Amino acid sequence: MIVPDSLYGAVVLSCVDFFLSIVMITGIGFVLAAFPLLNKLGKLDDETIKNSSH
Amino acid sequence: MVQEILGFLQAMLDQTGVSHFWWGNIVMIAIGVTMILLAIIKKYEPLLLIGIGFACVISNVPGSDLILPGGLFNYAYHGIELLIVPPLIFFGVGAMTDFGPMIAHPKLVILGAMAHLGIFVALIGAKALGFSINESGAIGIIGGADGPMAVFVCVKLAPHLLPQVAVAAYSYMALMPLIQPPVIKALTTRKERLIRMKQMRPVSRLEKIAFPVVLGIIVNLFFPPVAPLITMLMLGNLFKECLVTDRLYKTAANDLMNVIIIILTVGIGSTMNASTFLTFKTIEIVVLGLIAFLGGTASGVIGAKFMNLFLKEGEKINPCLGSAGIASVPIAARVAHIVAAKEDRENLLIYHAMGPNLAGVFGTAISGGIMLALLGVK
Repeated sequence: MIVPDSLYGAVVLSCVDFFLSIVMITGIGFVLAAFPLLNKLGKLDDETIKNSSH
Repeated sequence: MVQEILGFLQAMLDQTGVSHFWWGNIVMIAIGVTMILLAIIKKYEPLLLIGIGFACVISNVPGSDLILPGGLFNYAYHGIELLIVPPLIFFGVGAMTDFGPMIAHPKLVILGAMAHLGIFVALIGAKALGFSINESGAIGIIGGADGPMAVFVCVKLAPHLLPQVAVAAYSYMALMPLIQPPVIKALTTRKERLIRMKQMRPVSRLEKIAFPVVLGIIVNLFFPPVAPLITMLMLGNLFKECLVTDRLYKTAANDLMNVIIIILTVGIGSTMNASTFLTFKTIEIVVLGLIAFLGGTASGVIGAKFMNLFLKEGEKINPCLGSAGIASVPIAARVAHIVAAKEDRENLLIYHAMGPNLAGVFGTAISGGIMLALLGVK
């Protein structure tokens, strides 16, 4: 256990966890913001997939 | 002769549950019946409450074999305890979910983290009440409003609290239409609730196929403790979005999901026995769970209002979307939409609300994963 089993430990755990959650989710947001760039790799629409399957 | 007959009758009575009945069983049976009635009459999450309510009733009839070791309800509970059921639930959820709203509006994703402050308010509150830090973490995660994640984290941190945590998490999820609206209205003005969101950009098939692969890699890389749940969520979603596995995705989204819901609900309900449930600890957990939900709703709404300070007119976020950052998909999104629609019936927020709602699933997973890492639990 890294965090002490005390009220102080609970507060530290909460602050670190909440802060890191926001950082990580923001990071995921940045990754998603780059997703439109994938469309430059090529077009993959529903008709193409369905017509090419057996 | 009469004595012998009375002796036999007594022995037969001792074999039944009648002699072990106590007032606690009556209270819990009443709670189970209330759940069933809420589901049927008020239509509050019938898929969850019917199974939980019925199993609650049966588990409080002494002598019921179904809840004893070897009984079907007991095996259902083991499926939850052994972390087989929660990943399969996420598998089915992934197969039913369109992550397009989350991909289309990345700015709203942050609400999926902001709405989880309630987890930590409840965690600190539980520690102040004398629970251990692991128990406090298991109680706090109720605030994520993600049933499978709450079960998953609770089994890892404090398995002895699983009945109370699971029941609190699923019951509050079902009661969100009652819990959230007063908080949203108290923290927003009518003008804010009338904000209309801009139309979202269309999301291509390629993006929808890339999403589960990319997020699967990210979660396994950074959050291994909770990776099983999110990985199964992404696998189910990939089956849905790739369009070449129709049979598999339809099975995951329908038949498998239905079977798993039955197992989950009877497993949870079967733990609601009066002797383990009617304790002061349970009341504390239930109250802390409610505080977590209220705190999360409030922090999500306040988070959206804070973001609006930095956004231009015409780009502002309807603060109701903040409450959708709680991971109860799609209930929280539906509630956000309904609250806004009461002010303006043509304000269709549901699609926008799904963005933070789905991000909330990742938010809860990330919060839970970091919590497990900091507490040294794998």
